[in-house]
Amino acid sequence: MSNDVQMNDSCAEKQDDWVKITSSDGYSFLVKRSVAAISGTLKNMLSEDSSFREAIANTCPISERAAVVEKVCEYMTFKAYYEGPGSKEGVDVNEFTERIPPEVALELLLAADYLEGVLDSSL
Amino acid sequence: MSRRGNNVRGPTSALTEFLRESGINPTTIARRVATQNQPENQSQDQTVAGPSNSGDNVEDVPEEEQLEESAPRASNGRRGRGRNTGYASDELDEPAEESPVKKRKSTKGRAPAAAKAKAKKKAKDDGEYEGSSEDEYRAMSKNLWSVGGNGSPKPPAGSFETCARCQKQFTVTKYTMAANPPPGYLCHHCAKASGTDPFKKPAVPRKRINATEKRDVVSYQERRFPSLAAMCIELITRYIDDVEALGDIGAVNMDEIAKALSKNRGLTPQNAHLFYDVLNKKLRFYDATNLTPNAMTTLASLNPNLTHLHLDYCGRLTSPVLLAFSTSMPQLISLTLLGPFLVRAEAWTEFFKAMPGLRVFKITQSPRFNLECMQALADNCKDIGELSLREIGLMDNEFADPLCSLSPLRVLDLAFPGIGINEDGWMKIIEMHGSTLETLDASKHEGFTDHVLQESVRGYARVLFELKLDECLSLTDEGVAQFFGNWGYPMSALKDEDHDMDVDSNPVEVNLTSLEPFTPNPPLRVLSLARNQELSSAALAAAIVHSAQSLTWLSLNGLRSASSEALAQLKRAKELCYLDAGWCRELDDFVMKDITTACTKLNEIKVWGCSRVRGVGWGVKRAIKVHGIEPSGGM
Repeated sequence: MSNDVQMNDSCAEKQDDWVKITSSDGYSFLVKRSVAAISGTLKNMLSEDSSFREAIANTCPISERAAVVEKVCEYMTFKAYYEGPGSKEGVDVNEFTERIPPEVALELLLAADYLEGVLDSSL
Repeated sequence: MSRRGNNVRGPTSALTEFLRESGINPTTIARRVATQNQPENQSQDQTVAGPSNSGDNVEDVPEEEQLEESAPRASNGRRGRGRNTGYASDELDEPAEESPVKKRKSTKGRAPAAAKAKAKKKAKDDGEYEGSSEDEYRAMSKNLWSVGGNGSPKPPAGSFETCARCQKQFTVTKYTMAANPPPGYLCHHCAKASGTDPFKKPAVPRKRINATEKRDVVSYQERRFPSLAAMCIELITRYIDDVEALGDIGAVNMDEIAKALSKNRGLTPQNAHLFYDVLNKKLRFYDATNLTPNAMTTLASLNPNLTHLHLDYCGRLTSPVLLAFSTSMPQLISLTLLGPFLVRAEAWTEFFKAMPGLRVFKITQSPRFNLECMQALADNCKDIGELSLREIGLMDNEFADPLCSLSPLRVLDLAFPGIGINEDGWMKIIEMHGSTLETLDASKHEGFTDHVLQESVRGYARVLFELKLDECLSLTDEGVAQFFGNWGYPMSALKDEDHDMDVDSNPVEVNLTSLEPFTPNPPLRVLSLARNQELSSAALAAAIVHSAQSLTWLSLNGLRSASSEALAQLKRAKELCYLDAGWCRELDDFVMKDITTACTKLNEIKVWGCSRVRGVGWGVKRAIKVHGIEPSGGM
């Protein structure tokens, strides 16, 4: 039994640690692992099963400008918050849409397209 | 017995597991043995004596099972009512008044010690089963409990019965219980006195959870929060008129944005403007479902210099839009449309008349494209080099003549027609276009026969590198094998072998080809023989011999009888990138291992329906996309 508990602990710890996301122009962002897992692509990058460099270093480079990466991180945090267990409050989408400056919208679309990747891949 | 308390079980053999899952356990076995020895022991009132409804006087069955054995099956009809008489599906769960567990307890209390000991001994012998025997067996037998000991069904509620213990008459209710030991029924007082509560609700039998139920199936995902892409699309649409606000984005990214928009079916008449420009030469929309006819007309007017236009899912493209295309985009030389099914025949004709410069014309699924359209295309568009008329419902043999009057084509795709072109038509078409044809798709043409392959394709094709012959049901294994075997040799070389054939065919042609220096058609790069069930090992082997060195894309879907030896030859195709070997039933892991090790460029494999392929032992480190391995497949 004590073993089990320990394992759970380390698992939770693993879920709770921070990963680094870097932009192409040298900025880096620290987010919770569970937040990064919102993105299918990042999740796969960081997956324990893979031996990707990203998984080992806990660092994911996104080849976009910092302004875009910032919005991506913001979105993931937002989504993690609203889709997290127990959060039954209504989602005010506009609240987030208003935070996206239109000038990054196109780049953000491309980044989103890339990062959403294989969200539902269970294989 | 202590096992029952918890759910711990030791490892069991496969047989044990199987028996347990089939609900076979010591008690059922014992019962079968017992009943075999004593058939018809209740003969006088039981018309049909199935093996399961005997057993009152069976000695070696534990007392507690005896009751359950007296199945109500046979003795129907004796009483007027149908209840409790057998396994009528709508009554299956009806008579379960008594808790089997409870009953069992009371039985135990009163059963003769000898029987008890016997039961115990038995349980010990088959200790392995004991744990599970509780589950299934109780569940199965629970509707037998309200049955009287002599095997007759419980009398209907409201009738009178004499109590088996106190001999008083009482009224049968639905709570009336069978006497234990049988036969007979107990009145309410005696039932209570025996320690059981007649009103107790039956315990819900513990159900074994099936593996399928355990699986966590996500049937839909609730999306409370829109995806980031969707939000961006919304934002782009909102600011579409304010191009400055969206910032400058290179032309390279335009296609990426178009893809991202289409993936979300987000291309709308509003945001489509993002892609419009007077200077645009090429435009491709991947999903134009939401573009209304007006929006498409706008597309034409805002991009007057387009030369290449490609619209997928352009279901709302109507006749007037097509005419607007021809007037607004005079420079258009390439048009590719997926699903222009609203365009009428007259509009096509008009369009071809207005666009004599068309070089590439590719449409898929246009049920109104008829012979007149084809004729107009042939008459007006003399520069056509690439023609694709896929899934044209009205295509029949009449199309062959106009097709022949076209200038020599590089690409010809007439796949999946409604009716199809017959053998003569194909001979003419290949004769006309064969020398320039690089890509040929004749899928699902019954008229594309061995003869067409052996005479026309072999005789005229010189630069063909892509050949797709899905579902050409007239092709035979020998014919295709012969074709691939001989393709590399001039026609005249064959003369000695089968002169009859060559005398039949045009002698002038043969002479001509033999006079010219012979240049064989290079090996194919793309080959599809999918869903030709006639084709088998010989055709496959010959095709591999012919094209192995350059083959990059190969579909053998549905060549079910191709032998594993022939399939193993695929390892010679070193350039292979894509392989569809679905439903090749002989394909197994050993062959796959050979192929994946030898073909180092392979990156996608489809093995749907290959039940012998389990994906073990391939031992390849590269990333290969493999589709279709059954998790617990076959054998």
